[in-house]
Amino acid sequence: MPLDVAPILRSYETQRTLNPPGIPALAPLPTGETDDTRRLCERFGEEVVAAGLHNGNQVVHVGPAQLKAIAAFLRDDPQLQYETLIDVTGLDRSRLPLNGEGVRFQTVYQFRSYARNQHLTLVVDCADGGGGDGEQPQVDSLAGVYRGAEWPEREVYDLMGIRFDGHPDPRRILMPKSWHNHPLQKQSPLGGEEVPFTFTWDDPEFETLGTQILAAESAAPDLPPGMSRENMVINMGPHHPSTHGVLRLVVELDGERVVSIDPDLGYLHSGFEKTGENKRYKDFVYYTDRMDYLSSMSNNLGYCLTVEQMLGLEIPERAQVIRVIMAEMQRIASHLFWLATHVLDVSGTGMSLLMYATRERERILDLFEMACGARLTVSYIRIGGVWQDLPDAFVGELKDFIRLMPEKISEYESMLTDAPLWQERLTEVGHVSREDALSMGLTGPMLRGSGVDWDLRRDRPYTGYEGYEFEVPTSDRGDCYGRYRVRVEELRQSVRILEQAVGNLPSGLYKSNNRKVAAPPRAELDVSMEALIHHFKLMTEGFHVSPGYLYNGIESSKGELGFFVYSDGSAKPYRLHVRGPSFNNLYAIDHISRGEMLSDVVTNIGSIDIVLGEVDR
Amino acid sequence: MGLEEKVPEGIMTSTLDSVLNWGRANSTWPLLFGLACCAMEMIATGTARHDIARYGSELFRASPRQADLMIVSGRVSNKMAPVIKRIYDQMPAPKWVIAMGICASAGGPFNNYAIIQGVDKIIPVDVYVPGCPPRPESLLYALDKLRAKQALETVGTARAVVERTAVDEIMPLGA
Repeated sequence: MPLDVAPILRSYETQRTLNPPGIPALAPLPTGETDDTRRLCERFGEEVVAAGLHNGNQVVHVGPAQLKAIAAFLRDDPQLQYETLIDVTGLDRSRLPLNGEGVRFQTVYQFRSYARNQHLTLVVDCADGGGGDGEQPQVDSLAGVYRGAEWPEREVYDLMGIRFDGHPDPRRILMPKSWHNHPLQKQSPLGGEEVPFTFTWDDPEFETLGTQILAAESAAPDLPPGMSRENMVINMGPHHPSTHGVLRLVVELDGERVVSIDPDLGYLHSGFEKTGENKRYKDFVYYTDRMDYLSSMSNNLGYCLTVEQMLGLEIPERAQVIRVIMAEMQRIASHLFWLATHVLDVSGTGMSLLMYATRERERILDLFEMACGARLTVSYIRIGGVWQDLPDAFVGELKDFIRLMPEKISEYESMLTDAPLWQERLTEVGHVSREDALSMGLTGPMLRGSGVDWDLRRDRPYTGYEGYEFEVPTSDRGDCYGRYRVRVEELRQSVRILEQAVGNLPSGLYKSNNRKVAAPPRAELDVSMEALIHHFKLMTEGFHVSPGYLYNGIESSKGELGFFVYSDGSAKPYRLHVRGPSFNNLYAIDHISRGEMLSDVVTNIGSIDIVLGEVDR
Repeated sequence: MGLEEKVPEGIMTSTLDSVLNWGRANSTWPLLFGLACCAMEMIATGTARHDIARYGSELFRASPRQADLMIVSGRVSNKMAPVIKRIYDQMPAPKWVIAMGICASAGGPFNNYAIIQGVDKIIPVDVYVPGCPPRPESLLYALDKLRAKQALETVGTARAVVERTAVDEIMPLGA
C-alpha cells in the first residue's frame, strides 16, 4: 500500500460577508489601441474578442482557433518581434458572474519583445475538448513556437486542468502523478487540517504519533518518456547534496556522457497560488518571503508593485529609495550565496569560499535585522511603502558595508577568475546560444550570459531605478563561465547602486499616507479615533482592488520575477500566479547538459542558480 | 572511592551508558538534507560565525547511512513525505530528529492541500524548534536540548524509551 499522507480536506472557505454587495465582478475589457494591438487586429480581426490597453499593459483577447498562428505571427512579424514567451498561466472563471456567457477557462500568455522593449498579454478562451459543458478545456500548445512554453503549459495542465493539444510531454509536473484533482480549479478545496488548540500528553494521537503511517515501499522504476533502457539511467535527488534543494533529476547516461535529463519537480510544492487566493492582498506579502527565500526582499517588492499598480497608488520617494537599497542588498546576498554554493558544487570540498561569502552575507542579514528584526523572511516591503523607517544607525552601517564590499569581491575573484581549475570546469560547459535563450524564455543572468542586453531595472524601470547610474553586464560566451562573470559584475553594479541610493536618501514618509491601504503608524492610534478605525478596517477587512488583471515583472537576482493578479473587486485576489524565474531557467538543464559529462550537470545546476521554493511554489 | 582506588593511576571507571552517550552527544552528525527556507539558516549555522563545529556536528553527511541526526528544515509536501520516511528508515539507530521551524513542526502558514501538517505525522521527532525560520542560535539551542536527551539513552534498546517524566524535566511544556 502506498504511503498516504494527504491532509484531510476542508470545504472551500471564503469570507464573502466582508465584501460589499455587487461583487464578484468581471474585469473590464481593454480600451484604446496601440500599434501592436492594431497590427494583430488587422491580421486576425475575426479572432480578436477585444484589444487595447488595460492597467497600462497591452492586452489582446482572442478565441482559441488560431492561437498557434497568432503566436508565430507575434514572433516572426518584423513589426512585432516578440522573441520570448515569458509566462503562461490559466484562469478558472467559474466563480465570476459569467451569466452563461463566456467560457469557464482561459489561458493567459505574456509575450516580450526585447528588441522593441514591448510587453503584450494574450488572453485566450479555451476550446471545449469534449463533453460540451466546457469542463474539459483545451487549447493548442505553443511549445512548437516557443520552446519555453513547455514547462509552464505542463504546470497549467497540472494545477488548472487545461489540456494543451500537441504538447510534446503532457504529464503532470508538480503534483504526484496519482494526484486526484487539479488544485487551482475553483471547486477544488484549499485543503489542510483543523488546527488543534488544545494539547495534552494523554491525547490518543500522541501514542501513535510518528508510527501511524505505513512504511514507504519501493516503487517500481519508472522510465520517463524518450529514455532508453539501452543506456544507464540514474536517479539524482530529491535528496542530493548538489541539487540545491529537493530537485530530482533522472539522468540518462551513455558511459559518462549525458544523453538526456528529465527533471522531476514538485517536491517542495506548497500551494502558494491557491493559498494566495484565500488570503487578503496585504496578507500575501508574508508568503512571498518563503518562495525565493534567498531574495525575500525582491519577492516582497515584486508583489507589492503589482498590487500598487492595480490600486494606482503613489509611493513616497523615501520609501522608493529604501526599497532600492533593500532590493540591491538582497541581490548581493543572493549572488553571494550562489557563488558560495557554486564553488562548493564544482569543487566538491571547497568550503573556503562558502565561509568567505557567508561572512559578507551575514553582514547584510544583520542590516536586514536592524531594519525589520528578521534575517531571512523579512516582509519588510509592504503594500504602500515599507514596514518601518530605517533606524538611525542603519545608514552608517550600510556605508561601512559599501566601503568594504568592492575589496571583498576582488578577493573572491582573485581565487576564481583566473584560476585554471575553475576555468576548466566552467568554460564551454552548459552552453546556451542567444536564440535558444530567447526561445526557452530564460531571464536574468542566464539571458545576459548569452549576450542579450536586457535588464528590467534599466529597460522597464520601476521603483525609481531610472534615477540610478549602473551598467548591465553581459557576456557573449553563453557558458557557465560567462554567467559567472555576469553575476560577479552584477555584485559590483549593485554596490554602485547602493552607493548612489544611500548618498541620496531623501527625508519624508516611509509609507504612503493613504490610510485605506497602509496602516497608520502606531503612535497615531493613541491620539486619533480615525486612525483607529482605519487600522481596524484594514486589519479585519483589508482593502479592495477594483476588478481587472495585471502582470508585472521585476528583475530579481535570478531573473524576471512576475506576478499575475486577477481581481474581482473583493479583498482577496481571485487568481494569483507567480512566474518564478528559477522555474523557467531550470527548463534549460536538459538542453545545456546533453552531451556533457555527468559532473557537468552539477556545474550547470549551480550556474542556473535555482531556489526550489520558487521552482515548485 | 571504591574500585578506582585499587586500580593503577590513569584508569577511570564509568558506566557503558555514559561513555557511549558522551561520544554520541559530542559527535552527532547531521544528515546533509535541506528542504526550504530553514535550510538556509541551517547552512548559516554551519558556517564560521555560528560554527556548529563547537557541538561536534559540523560533519553534514550526504548519506543517511552515516548520519545520526535528521534536521527537517522546512515544509514537507505530500510528494516529499515518502522520501523523508524512506531516508529516515535508512538511517542506522540510534537516530534523532529535529523538526526545525514551524512548518516541519506543525505545517506553519501552509495549511493547504500540498503540505503535511508537521513531519511528526510520518517520523518521530525529538526536538521541535519554533521560528519561521528559527535563528541559528535556536538551532544550536535545540542541539543542546538534544544532548540532554541523548544523555538519557541506555544501551540495549535500539531507540531508547525515555520515561515521559524525564522528558518533562528536560523540556517542560510551557517553559
